Amino acid sequence: MANVELRAVDKSFGRVDVIRNVNLDIRDGEFVVFVGPSGCGKSTLLRLVAGLEDLTDGEIHIDGQRVDHLAPSRRGVAMVFQSYALYPHFTVRENMGYALRVAGEDKAEIARKVEAAADVLQLTEYLDRKPKALSGGQRQRVAIGRAIVRDPKVFLFDEPLSNLDAKLRVQMRIELTKLHGKLGATMIYVTHDQVEAMTMADKIVVLRDGVVEQVGPPLELYNRPANLFVAGFIGSPAMNMFEGSVVEAGADGLVLDLPGVGRLSWPASGTLKAGDKVHFGIRPEHFIREGEPDGKVAGEVYAAERLGGETYIYLNTENGSEVTVHASGDWAARPGDRLEAGFMLENAHLFGPDGQAVPGREG
Amino acid sequence: MEAVDFERAKAIRQRNLRLWLAFLLAPPALVLIIFVFIPMVSAVLYSLYEWDGLARGEFIGLRNFYDILFGPRLSAELFNAFWNNVKVFVTLMIVQNGYALVLAMLLARNPRGYRFYQVVFFLPVILSTVIIGFQWKLFLNPVFGLVNKALIYFGLSDWALPWLGLPETALPAMLLVNSWHWFGFPTLVFLAAIHRIPTDFIEAARLDGASEWRIAREIIWPLMAPAVTIIVVLTFIGSFNWFEIPYIMNGLEGSPEGSTDMLGLLFYRTAFGSVSVGTSDFGHGSALAVLMFIFIFVFSILATKYLTSREVEMS
Amino acid sequence: MKRSISITAKAALVATGLAVAAPAAAQTNLDFWSWRQEDAKAYNEIIAEFEKTHPDINITYTAHEAKAYNTILTTALAGGAGPDIIHTRAYGSLENISGAGYLEPLDGKVDFSHIPESLLRGTTLRADGKVYSVPFATQTVLVYYNKDLFDKAGVTPPETWDEFKQVTDKLKEAGITPLANGIADGWTIEVASGAIMPNFYGESFFGDVTSGKTTFEDPRYVAALGKMAELAPYMPTGFEAVDYATMKALFTSGSAAMFIGGSWEIPAWREAGLNFGFMAGPAAKAGDTRMVATWLDGGYAVNAASPNKEAALEFIRFTATPEFAQMLADKLNNVPAVQGATPKDEALQQIIKLQEHQTPYIMLVAFRYQKPTGSTLLQDGLKKLLTGQATPEEVAKAVADGLASPE
Ligand SMILES: Nc1ncnc2c1ncn2[C@@H]1O[C@H](COP(=O)(O)OP(=O)(O)OP(=O)(O)O)[C@@H](O)[C@H]1O
Ligand SMILES: [Mg+2]
Repeated sequence: MANVELRAVDKSFGRVDVIRNVNLDIRDGEFVVFVGPSGCGKSTLLRLVAGLEDLTDGEIHIDGQRVDHLAPSRRGVAMVFQSYALYPHFTVRENMGYALRVAGEDKAEIARKVEAAADVLQLTEYLDRKPKALSGGQRQRVAIGRAIVRDPKVFLFDEPLSNLDAKLRVQMRIELTKLHGKLGATMIYVTHDQVEAMTMADKIVVLRDGVVEQVGPPLELYNRPANLFVAGFIGSPAMNMFEGSVVEAGADGLVLDLPGVGRLSWPASGTLKAGDKVHFGIRPEHFIREGEPDGKVAGEVYAAERLGGETYIYLNTENGSEVTVHASGDWAARPGDRLEAGFMLENAHLFGPDGQAVPGREG
Repeated sequence: MEAVDFERAKAIRQRNLRLWLAFLLAPPALVLIIFVFIPMVSAVLYSLYEWDGLARGEFIGLRNFYDILFGPRLSAELFNAFWNNVKVFVTLMIVQNGYALVLAMLLARNPRGYRFYQVVFFLPVILSTVIIGFQWKLFLNPVFGLVNKALIYFGLSDWALPWLGLPETALPAMLLVNSWHWFGFPTLVFLAAIHRIPTDFIEAARLDGASEWRIAREIIWPLMAPAVTIIVVLTFIGSFNWFEIPYIMNGLEGSPEGSTDMLGLLFYRTAFGSVSVGTSDFGHGSALAVLMFIFIFVFSILATKYLTSREVEMS
Repeated sequence: MKRSISITAKAALVATGLAVAAPAAAQTNLDFWSWRQEDAKAYNEIIAEFEKTHPDINITYTAHEAKAYNTILTTALAGGAGPDIIHTRAYGSLENISGAGYLEPLDGKVDFSHIPESLLRGTTLRADGKVYSVPFATQTVLVYYNKDLFDKAGVTPPETWDEFKQVTDKLKEAGITPLANGIADGWTIEVASGAIMPNFYGESFFGDVTSGKTTFEDPRYVAALGKMAELAPYMPTGFEAVDYATMKALFTSGSAAMFIGGSWEIPAWREAGLNFGFMAGPAAKAGDTRMVATWLDGGYAVNAASPNKEAALEFIRFTATPEFAQMLADKLNNVPAVQGATPKDEALQQIIKLQEHQTPYIMLVAFRYQKPTGSTLLQDGLKKLLTGQATPEEVAKAVADGLASPE
């Protein structure tokens, strides 16, 4: 079991900087998920840890030992590829035991470990099949089994579930979480599925263009996105954003002018001053129907999805911006209706001209 | 009415498709019949007759085959030539294709300038065999040849042998020339096969701790089986039909002392005679051609069957 | 090809019903195939002479690659095609095609009065005794020597075998390769044997062995083989791989002092500007006559399937005249088979003089009618002999046995 530490890691392919000054601390036994849009460098960062790519600059430590100069096999990591990368000419048994065979372990020992892992993953009856004769989910499990058998310090997963259908994905997600609990190993997991990220992670790392935007537990990222990018990226459907400006800035707060919402006072001022452009955000699920809202958004319904237990309503405000409302229970709205949705300031987010979050009351 | 039109359109479409197919297939089929099928049948027919020069004599059944396989002189020549072809096959498999395999594995790791090497290695393949045979015959010339001149220049006069004139060195020298001529081809085929293997497999093996040698042997080699099949079968056919290089470099007689005699040369000599020795003999020649065809055909098919069985699909 | 064009033209005439009689002024086009690529220019001149007196005949000379000529020709003939006029080889090679009926018999159609009986035998089919080709030229095996190199080493052309060996030793001492010959091309060593061996096995051996009175295991022949074995040390280093081209290069470049070869080499030596002489092979001992081996190089024949046989015969008759022989000698430096010419060339005159003591080039003339041929056996044997892998007795036995058990 091991902690993983990345210090000022840079990686460039030729002239393109793909990873820029990444610093990360992953504690022993933590389940860390890398998320970010396609091409942001998630896989590259994972491969740097695995040793499949060489660092351009910086250091990587695993279990307190510097490893960035070591061959992949000597870093104590195991990786599960998106393609599974099962050797097509080996049986499941041979696939799972290959690393041990290479390491020169004796046959009985290999058989014991492979069978133990197969048992955990319910693969026992497939041990003598070739990968071609397995379903996607079974191949996925073999790939995981191959990693488990090696008893690594750190597991690395690169979008391991993305080739599975939705139902299987949910199932495997749960199994993986269980597995993490059982093994207690450090795991780094790349995905661009935010449900996976939110449900599985102890800690999420949001990447954009090779830069870490925010690191933290899922709910912290959800509740306190550090910047506009994270706010937009975490949460589904995405947070509603209203552009506006600061009208007044005083010691005890701001007065904002937000077209579509109206005038609002914000309880803290940060470093903003009058005239600054701001973004004001409310998650769809934070609109309320009753009670005493701090503010309201009004508009005309152009689509409503009533699912019984929950309702999605899509509005057009007067100034033309689109707003998504996600309410629990049934909300009888029909296209063409005029509708008002309230919100509480404690659930709202404000971002300054630099895109950074402006603290609210608590901050 | 509309239904009828619909049926008609469908029929026309199918007829057009058939016409196209016939149009595309007829020329190759014709070529096949004229240049492959007819000569084969006529070779079989020729082989069943006695021939006096170019005049066809009596029908003699399998007599010609018997002479070739068991007759005192022809059979000795046949087995000598056949054994030489076997040597050619084995040597080319090891020297030419083995070297190509190592080279392909190195090139597959994309070393600096590998595209350049790829082109350079392939160059000899596109040169004409006739020119290469002739060129190397000159290089190996005992009096004027570059090879011996170089050896003497470096003080290795004892090594300056009449390479093509000694029974021990003539065939090896020619095989080296042939390997030099062709190694770029298997290299390219192997390289393409290696490139087809997803890099994930190799990276997974690397993470599993396998050494480069182990990866080459246990992962890359089994997964490039289809390319190996192609090269083995082509080398087999090429080896047992080997003609140009030995003919150009050491003549029709397989000299010195039959050490470079090949089935192809023996066939040519028997069927057509040669300027300096012998007369033409279509009967034995055709019988030999038929035997060669059957041997190569049967073994190629068996080899293909066997080799294909060890191929695995990647995915 | 010309002929196919004329056939098409005829077919067209027949089809339109106009082929009542060919117009008098019509040209007959004849194809003439040969393997003598180097002689194309001279042949075209000779043909031009012929066409002067035969304005209605138009001959096209095509020379194929010598090594492939037999194959090309036999394939064409077997397919019912081929040229009207065929440059043929002689002896066994000729029987191959004359025996198959591809050639027109010439007896009674051509005047053979200028051609010696012995040469006509080379173009006669043994089965029916008919002549199928007009003999054209003879070849003679000669020992060429480089006069400048002989001067340099201070030697004169040897007369006897002992002198020959003294000369070669002196040349060697002077750092000159005595003999250009090698054994990579089997036929060149057979040619060399034609210069050396007859003077040891003697004049009567040919008759004895062809009539069956003796075999090649005859002590005379074995002794002659023994002399061949003695040549190896005088050959170039690496003679095992010295082929015909290298031999010629060695001699023309002045690297080797002697070259045993056919009389057809003379133009090449002249072209190279070599100061050379030639002689018959050395005598066994002083006072013996020095014999040269000769053979008929080939002849001119008519394709039995030619649609223009009469016109082709007209040309063939021309080749049997002294007039033609004169041109052959002067334009091509060939020693004509047809008598009555007086070559202008001194070398040709000298060869004709050497031919006063001639003996048949044994394997080609008499033992190339079966398989394996005497040439195959002798070439194999000589190679083994010169590389020390067989004794003269073993070679003689192999030749005799091979000839006694044809396939
Ligand atoms: N070997 C390479 N050579 C050059 N550029 C590369 C290489 N590998 C990756 N890149 C580039 O680096 C950037 C990051 O790639 P990476 O594969 O890490 O993205 P990712 O976040 O995993 O994306 P995805 O979600 O699509 O898998 C991309 O712009 C990619 O084009
Ligand atoms: Mg990726």
